Amino acid sequence: MARLIRTEKEVEGRYTEQWIVVDEDVLEQWPAGPLETVGRPVPRADGGQRARGEARYTADIKLPGMLHAAILRSPHAKARVRRIDTGRARRAPGVRAVLGPETGPLTDEPPYEGAPVAAVAAETSEQARTAVSLIEVEWERLEPLLDPEEAVRRNELIDEPNREERGEVERGLAESDAVVEAEYRTQTVLHNSMETHQAICEWDGDDRLTVYISTQFIWGVREEVAKRFGLPEDHVRVVCRFMGGGFGSKNGPGDYTYVAAELARATGRPVKCALTRREENLDSGNRNSTIQRLRVGARSDGTLTFLDGEFVNATGWDGWLASTGGPMRLLYACENVRTVEYGAKLNTPPMAAFRAPGFVEGTFGLECLLDELAAKLEIDPLELRRRNHSTHDAVDERPFSSKQLLECYRRAEPHWERRDEVRARSDATWKRGVGLASQVWYGGGGPPSYAWVRIGGDGRAAVITGMQDIGTGSATAMAQIAAEELGLPVDRIEVALGDSARGPYATISAGSSTIPSMGPAVRAAAADAARQLIEIAAQRYDREERVLSLKNGQIVSSDGGSWPLEEITGLLESGQILGKGSRGPNPTGMRVLTFGVQVAEVAVDVETGEVVVEKIVAIHDVGRVINPLGASSQVEGGIIQGLGHTLSEERLLDPSTGGNLTQTLDAYKIPTIADVPEIVTDLVDVPDEHLTNLGSKGLGEPPIIPTAAAIANAIRDATGADVRSLPITREEMLRALREASRQPAREEVGA
Amino acid sequence: MPELSINGERHELAASVGTSLAHYLREDLGLTGTKIACNEGHCGACTVQVDGVPILSCITLVHTVEDREVTTIEGLRDHPMVNSFVRSDALQCGFCTPGQIVSATALVAAIPRPSSEEIKHAMSGNLCRCGAYPKIEEAISTWQD
Amino acid sequence: MDILRPDSLEAARAALKNGSVALAGGTELVPLLRDRIVEADTIVEIRHAVPRGIQGTRIGAGTTLGELEVDPQIPDALREACRLAASPQLRAMGTIGGNLLQATRCWYWRLKYPCWLHGGGRCFAHEGLHREHAVFANAPCASAHPSDVAAALLALGATVRTDRRELPIAELYRLPTGDDRRMTGLEPGELILELEVPMPAASTYLKAMDRKRFAFALVGVAAARSPEGTRLALAGMAPIPWLLEDESALDEATPLPGNAYKLEIARALIRRALVAVAP
Repeated sequence: MARLIRTEKEVEGRYTEQWIVVDEDVLEQWPAGPLETVGRPVPRADGGQRARGEARYTADIKLPGMLHAAILRSPHAKARVRRIDTGRARRAPGVRAVLGPETGPLTDEPPYEGAPVAAVAAETSEQARTAVSLIEVEWERLEPLLDPEEAVRRNELIDEPNREERGEVERGLAESDAVVEAEYRTQTVLHNSMETHQAICEWDGDDRLTVYISTQFIWGVREEVAKRFGLPEDHVRVVCRFMGGGFGSKNGPGDYTYVAAELARATGRPVKCALTRREENLDSGNRNSTIQRLRVGARSDGTLTFLDGEFVNATGWDGWLASTGGPMRLLYACENVRTVEYGAKLNTPPMAAFRAPGFVEGTFGLECLLDELAAKLEIDPLELRRRNHSTHDAVDERPFSSKQLLECYRRAEPHWERRDEVRARSDATWKRGVGLASQVWYGGGGPPSYAWVRIGGDGRAAVITGMQDIGTGSATAMAQIAAEELGLPVDRIEVALGDSARGPYATISAGSSTIPSMGPAVRAAAADAARQLIEIAAQRYDREERVLSLKNGQIVSSDGGSWPLEEITGLLESGQILGKGSRGPNPTGMRVLTFGVQVAEVAVDVETGEVVVEKIVAIHDVGRVINPLGASSQVEGGIIQGLGHTLSEERLLDPSTGGNLTQTLDAYKIPTIADVPEIVTDLVDVPDEHLTNLGSKGLGEPPIIPTAAAIANAIRDATGADVRSLPITREEMLRALREASRQPAREEVGA
Repeated sequence: MPELSINGERHELAASVGTSLAHYLREDLGLTGTKIACNEGHCGACTVQVDGVPILSCITLVHTVEDREVTTIEGLRDHPMVNSFVRSDALQCGFCTPGQIVSATALVAAIPRPSSEEIKHAMSGNLCRCGAYPKIEEAISTWQD
Repeated sequence: MDILRPDSLEAARAALKNGSVALAGGTELVPLLRDRIVEADTIVEIRHAVPRGIQGTRIGAGTTLGELEVDPQIPDALREACRLAASPQLRAMGTIGGNLLQATRCWYWRLKYPCWLHGGGRCFAHEGLHREHAVFANAPCASAHPSDVAAALLALGATVRTDRRELPIAELYRLPTGDDRRMTGLEPGELILELEVPMPAASTYLKAMDRKRFAFALVGVAAARSPEGTRLALAGMAPIPWLLEDESALDEATPLPGNAYKLEIARALIRRALVAVAP
């Protein structure tokens, strides 16, 4: 029976309550450890298509009659259009339509550099771009607000400040034997997905719209596009079969989609709007910079007495207040915690979610602060973290559904113990050291998410769902789950996804939620189909249902009989077995979180400021691991993005104009293969017994979270220098070394 | 009309001067395996081989390769490197992957068993934002297995 | 736009006239054309008109950096400068002649801010962000010259042969002035044909960059020892490749507030380079 319940939903750490309908979730979790297919390494199902260049990304789709759009973007951080003349653009070769700032989402008062002002559709993208260059604008330049501290002073905020407090910080301060106070800064970083943001819009009449788009959430795009154009949601079809990276920046439709849709409507032809790399780096979101003023107190035995943090997020013109104080509130058992988070509204491009938004930044501050405290207390940093291990969520006293952080710490020990040996390899120039940092994040996923499973006469199965595989390998994991439940080899499972007209609603591919949200739904759908197969087989082979099971593509009877699956499905000829499944609710009254620890080994050239990360060991607890091969890829990818965040990436804005100086990939430096350290992945792989029929949590985000702090702490271990600002470029490293040499002894902060 | 040789096939070149090889491959020939990610020579996604040497097709004018042999990912689909990438899980979103494979096949043609250092040096012009690098190195080290 | 593909030097010289531009590897020119920083109605592809290859101490200007980085005969400083330049694909395309004529990577210039070097009134980098910019001769323009290869050739004392003359590589470059803001003294249509690179007793090139590969030099240090003494040259430190008398000449630098760190790095790399080339 369908059950209506109210449940908590979390995406990227933001909780909402909502009603959902669930079927009785009767499936017991599978036993822990590798099964037939689940828990075993499986190469990704669509790897060959992608590797051979056969996969058709949005960038590769060319519809008959398709036009190309180009957008005129504001060259100023704050300006007003005094006069605009699109006449020459309209008359330019190949141009079929021009939209001026009177058409939403275009604007004549662009509030940041790169804001869209006008748009052109032409036969080729070159013609469209040429036409854009012919639009004449007389600008009135206005003084931009670029300084986040100034914005906070002026109360120019994106939202109310988020103040949270438990216990009493003043009381904790009084009980402290040691207090450490420091300011940390993190920079703005850019997603730089290899496939830029792009969409193709095609109208069918004036009330049906198909959107091909590089997105992490076809349903979100469907809802927003339908709303914007006043269409029933089922009149909007959104398709994303393959997409070239998102990392949080492709969670919604974006202005380019609306521009394409408007131009398509104006011309009656399909229109593609694809951002250039430079546009991508201007106006497709960013991880906003932060300033973090943090304080921690502890008793001499290391027990934390209080944590206190003020976080200024340079949110930009739009976006939301990322949870930079989240790690401080969640990671440790501490009675007295106070955080206040500000989101500065600036004349800079809007932020967007970027792989564990807020937590990457906040963990850098918190976990460096903890190491500075450990040094002051002369307590081993790993031991300090153990002593403050939390057994329940201190924010609302809920128990964790599962937490294997102590096991992570135990597994970290042999790597942590290498530090004497690593340090001993230092010489006059290269100083070596080891550092670690812990991680907490969400990643439990939630309802609603649905899947269908279809079994054909040939004994092959298809998983059908409206999810997307953004490169994480989630489609392969779904095939493994269905294969396990159906007793089929994984190569007999097809996963059809990425089309809102050809499958039920599925989760956003963000917030580490695809596997924990979709996996249980796919298993439920497969189980529904399996149940029907058993029922049919029982009739056909005259056995009781309870003696039959599915294994290796066979229907197996406990009396020794076995029949190939296609023997029974073949009876149906064109008939099909259809199963459906949904994601059940999250465990009531429990907090579902992911945990982990990373240990970094670094070498620092103290004469030139070069930092070389030599090794990172990543130990994470994400519940049951479906595909260890794909999981290790996720871990490596997160760490490598974290490495860029730590050492080389920074969006730079000209301080007076607010112009982005790092729009190109020579100026904005993401890591190359030569920058990558040895990475060791160790996943605890114990199912969360309270979470769904799988016990799996998400893994997309956790690995990027502790990397920066682990590296910074290793640098401190190697050199004695405190690096409190990202990225740790050569100049930042040399500055920190100079400062350390001026202060041979750590200054005492009064307790 | 000038002609081009792409993956061993001759094609008439009707594009206007200034057209890049990448644009020509994708738009005129429909060979969309070659990706464009930056379109200004900073990322390697558009890598193709010209006379066996990996170059950036996004900043190569198509008219300058008239007398040379161009090999794209479509011409390398049966190369064992492709399966090695899949086996090693050396790709995530896959958008940079054709370019990676074009570079990797040229590397192993010159050095069949490259060292880790040689791989890192030869592959440093192919950016991967997903961070598949450790497994790309593995795929190239084990391509003959 | 037109393209000409002359197969002789004479034909190339005839083709290079007003409104045309010489194209070799294209790694620099094609993006600049697309950004309309360089305008041309005719492209003259000079691949078949300019010598390519290495003969003793002579290097054809059409030789690619990729060919040079694996050549065992050329001086270490040049080979290393090639090896650490750009990316494998760019090195496979880019020629040594073209590399010497690269424009700055100054982000203001590349993004077409109306700066002094584009004929405007001021250098945006001075007041703005300049961590990658020049510490020598950085007024009125703080742009840094990006060529690793040019610094190596400067330390090696190479000679440039064009279709019109021979000149020491130091004389190929000039600091821009208010009247003439070009960084080289080449005449319109003048083609670099060949380089004469004397073999030193020892040489090296060291490069500090933001990642291990595929980045322009924050600081590049070339050192070459010959019977006349040891010569030092820098990349990324001045608007043109910069010859340095000795380490103490670093004291004459005029760093901007945000790039003094380059001098600290240069000091360390110069020390290392001198050790590396010492007898």
